[in-house]
This record gives sequence, structure tokens and C-alpha cells, in this order.
Amino acid sequence: MSNNGLAISAHGLTKNYGKLVAVDHVDMTVPSGSVFGLLGPNGAGKTTIIKVLTGLSDITDGTATVAGFDVRREPMSVKQRVGWVAAEVILDDDLSGWENLWLQAQLQRLSDWKGRAEQLLAYFELTDRRKDKVGTYSTGMRKKMEIALALLHQPEVIFMDEPTIGLDPNVRRMLWDLITGVNRQFGVTVLLTSHYIEEADALCDHVAIIDRGKFVATGTPSELKARVKADYIELETSESITPGKLEAIPGVLTVRSQGNTWILRVSSAEEVLPRMFHALRTDGIRRINVEKPSLESVFIDITGKKIDQEGGEVQDYRKFYVNLRRARR
Amino acid sequence: MSAATKTVSLPATLSQANGERSGQVQQFYGLFAREMIKTFRNPWVIAITLIQPFMWLAFFGGMMSQLPSAELDTFLLHAPAGTTYLSFLLPGVLATGMMAIGMFGSMSTIQDKRFGFMKRILITPTSKATVYLSKALGAAMRGLVQIPVMLVAAMAFGVKLQGSPLEWCGWILGLVFLGLGFAAFFLAITASSTDWQTPGVISNFITMPLMFASGAMFPSSIYPPWMRAIADVNPVGFSALLSRDVLTYGVFTSTDLLYLGYLALFALAMVLIGTLVASRYLKVE
Repeated sequence: MSNNGLAISAHGLTKNYGKLVAVDHVDMTVPSGSVFGLLGPNGAGKTTIIKVLTGLSDITDGTATVAGFDVRREPMSVKQRVGWVAAEVILDDDLSGWENLWLQAQLQRLSDWKGRAEQLLAYFELTDRRKDKVGTYSTGMRKKMEIALALLHQPEVIFMDEPTIGLDPNVRRMLWDLITGVNRQFGVTVLLTSHYIEEADALCDHVAIIDRGKFVATGTPSELKARVKADYIELETSESITPGKLEAIPGVLTVRSQGNTWILRVSSAEEVLPRMFHALRTDGIRRINVEKPSLESVFIDITGKKIDQEGGEVQDYRKFYVNLRRARR
Repeated sequence: MSAATKTVSLPATLSQANGERSGQVQQFYGLFAREMIKTFRNPWVIAITLIQPFMWLAFFGGMMSQLPSAELDTFLLHAPAGTTYLSFLLPGVLATGMMAIGMFGSMSTIQDKRFGFMKRILITPTSKATVYLSKALGAAMRGLVQIPVMLVAAMAFGVKLQGSPLEWCGWILGLVFLGLGFAAFFLAITASSTDWQTPGVISNFITMPLMFASGAMFPSSIYPPWMRAIADVNPVGFSALLSRDVLTYGVFTSTDLLYLGYLALFALAMVLIGTLVASRYLKVE
């Protein structure tokens, strides 16, 4: 059952742990069938939002509806309609894959589940290992099994808490494919948390950027990136040049330097680059790197810090972008 | 080929068990069966559960059996002829063993909290009371594992077992009540704990005084008045007396029915109180 096409809606959602405000008056709406991402640094309140929306933790203040049911008044109805994939894979390692599915079926009070379980095992390519203890599975297989458990009772909403944290790039890419497939093929609404920029960008229809328990920006990844209204050009020359020469180029907003490397914040890289080539034609351009707006730059624009930097201020955009580029290599 | 590119058709709908009660029974059964499977797949748990009471018989019983018969006669208060200290001790060891298994139930719960499995359970429409009851009954059933081995070991030490099959059902039922009561008690007082040390500390604090002030090892008639007062309400003592009547003396009197009733009341009270406590205080993590 959906609520006006919304899988999740929350108003003034607040969760306190003693004096600590973990979630601070959050308003959110998640359309049915979409992939919604909560993007923020560790400790921002992402997991707490999942806990209160699934009834694992009590709501301190505000209201929340999941799959058409009030989380406070009808938590059991909510739990019948949601699935959950934990950041750390949580399975019973002493049980086989099939026994884990059997237990999940008992807890979800399913009477007719074996056919679906077999189909899920086939879908996730786990049929051959169904009788083996899950403690012997590889990391990727364990993640698949966890998603199969979450899907067994045909939930309307799946909560995925940092689904790819700690995984190597190959497994992460495989899980991205699975999450996309689960959303499209099964029509399940997915709410995932992440502090990986590229993950939210690649998977999510809508993203909420969260910092210190508050939503600081929401929208589609494209909408959020459009808010930055600037590109970054990293430039290295063989000849020394003055900042005034760069600032004189139309479209250049700010200029920073470090040695022979310059960081230019520009209105549009496509418009500025031809002008820059012309202005610097005798200065020996050795290297150019263009950074288009990303969710990371949105987060910095709004909060003044990197997404994986808890509490610290960003003093040097260049250093950040150099690190970002290194990380992508 | 990635899984997402495949087209595996899934049924459009899945039926659910009808009715709240049948649903809760199904959840309870699933969790209880999990406790049993995990117990019997862990050779160390089985080994320690079996060896610990056996060691009581071998070391403590062996030592006491070497005392002069006059001393033992004083201790055993003119028990029927042929009663050895081992046959006197066996029911007491079985009773104290059931008291200790409550600790394992608590540790199993804390393990589920620390490894996140409690979240996996409670994110389904499973109540905390159902989780609690499955853990309590699972611990009590685990305690029963020691019974057949203990009886075989006792016979190997020369103990002659008495009682009819019906009388045996009575004392085994008493042991189940005792184990359930203590498991419920341990689980209730550790409901909000996530510390591995808590069950052990509480077990050490409670088990020793209740074991000695019970009549499990020695007749309570030799106790000082304050210990006898504890023994008079101690369910371990009632279980030991019931077991001793059946296994050692081969009788089952109306007094034994009272012992059984007392143990049933103890289990019921602990389970009811524990369910209320767990429903409110059982922590997810």
C-alpha cells in the first residue's frame, strides 16, 4: 500500500540520544519505485534515520509513514513491508544459505516461500551453495544472500545501509548492478545511505545531503550539481604567470595557486577553456584537468567540508581535488 | 553476466500465515529451532555442557565417597540401605546444572546483539517477547542434553537408578521447569546488557550460594538456620529433592507433586516477569 505515490514520508522527524540530537527535524518524501540516497559523512545521522523509519528505534518527535503505515502507531505493519541490508553483512554463519532463508520466512510469517526462495537463489547465482554454511561464502556472495533475505517477503521498501562499504571495486560494481536490477525488475523502492559520492550519483534518483542530523540539500543529482554553478580547472604551465593574467580571462571567478599549478573556479569550463588557451598561448601549458560539478562539490559548497571529513573545514580546494583525482586513478 | 541483466521471473504475490497467533507461533518456532541447531552444531558447547556435571560426579562425588561410612551416614541422615553419596549427589548435580544453563541463554542473546543479528530479527514483525521466550526455552532444552550422559556416567560409577517411567517424566519435567525459570531469570536481568562479562558475573554471584543453600550437595538439615531459610524457598533444592526421591529412593509422593507444582510456579513467574521486562528493556544492540 503506498501513500499518494510515496513509499516514505516524514515530517519533523527527530531522534535524540540523551542530549545528542542524531536526527534533527528532517522532512523527506520518497516516491514509490525510486532509489533515494542519504549522502553524508560518518555520524551524520544516516543510519539513525533507517533505524527510526524501520521501527528499530523510537522516534523522539515528528511523524513518519513507510509503505502507507505510521511508523509509531503501526510498526509491525511497517516491518512486514520493509527489507533491510546492513552495512556489515549480518547473517547467521552457523546456518546454511537455505536455512537463513527458512529463518527469514519464519520471522516474516510466510507460508508459501520456497518457490520464491529458489528463484532468488537462482537470480543471485547462489543455488549451488544453498546447503553450505554462509560462513564459508565470499564477501560478494554474503552480500547477495543478504539482499535475497531482504527480498524474500516481497517488501515495498528496502533500506540499504552503506551497502558497499569496505568492498573492493569489482564487488562494489556488481552490487550497483544488483541494486539497480532489484529496483527496476522488482519495483522495490530503495533507500540507501552512502558516503561514496560516485555511488549516490550512479544509483540514486533523488539524493538528500545530510550533515549533523539535518538535511542540507535535496534533489536529483543533476539538480544538486547545478546548484554549484561552477567548474574547476586545474592548470599547470612551464612558464611562470601572474594571477592577474588568469583573473582577466572572462568567466574566471577565482584563482588559487600552488607553485606552477593553478586552480581556477570558472562559470563554465567549456566557455573558459578556449579563452584560456588564447590568453596563455605563449606560457607553455603542460597539463589541464577539468572537474565538473559533483555531489562532493555540492557538499563542500553547502557545509564547507569534505564528505569524509567529519567537522573539519576545507581550507584548500586544490588539495581536495588532487586527492580526488588520485583516488579515481 | 551480471545478475541484474538476467530476467528471472518471480511470483507476483506471496501468501502469509493467517492470524496473529499463528504468526507468533511460527516466529517462535523459527527462533527456537535456530537455538537448537546452533547448539548441536557447536561441539564445544555440547562438550562443556556434558563434561561439567560429569566432573562434579567424578571429583566431588569420588572424594566424598572415600569418607568414613559413619560420617557419610550422618550426612545422609540414615538414608535407605545401599544409598551411596554418588546416588545422593546425582540429582543435586543435575539440578545445579540446570541452574547454570541460564547463563548460556544470556550469552546467546548478547552475541546476537553484538553481531547485529538482533537487528535482523527485530526488523521483522517479531516481538521482543517472542525473541525472549525462544531464548529461554532454547536454554532450558539445552540443559536437558546433560541428563542421559549423567545417568550413564552415574551408572558407570555404580549408582543404581530407581523409579518408574512415569516418575521419571515427573522429575524431568521438574528439571525443565527449573531450567526454564533460571533461563528466564538470567535473560531478564541481562535484557539491556551487551557486555560479554555480565552473564558470567551474575552467574558466579548467584549460582554458588543457591547451589550450596539448596540441599543439592548436602542435606539441608545440617545447614545453619539462615541457610536453611534460603533452602526452604530455593527451587534448586525442590528440584534436587524431587529428583532424589525418584532416582535414588524410587518413590513419588504427594510431597513430590508439591515440589513439581512449586517448580512450575517458579518457571511461570519468571517467564511472566521476564516477558514484561524483555518487552520493555531488550536492547537491539
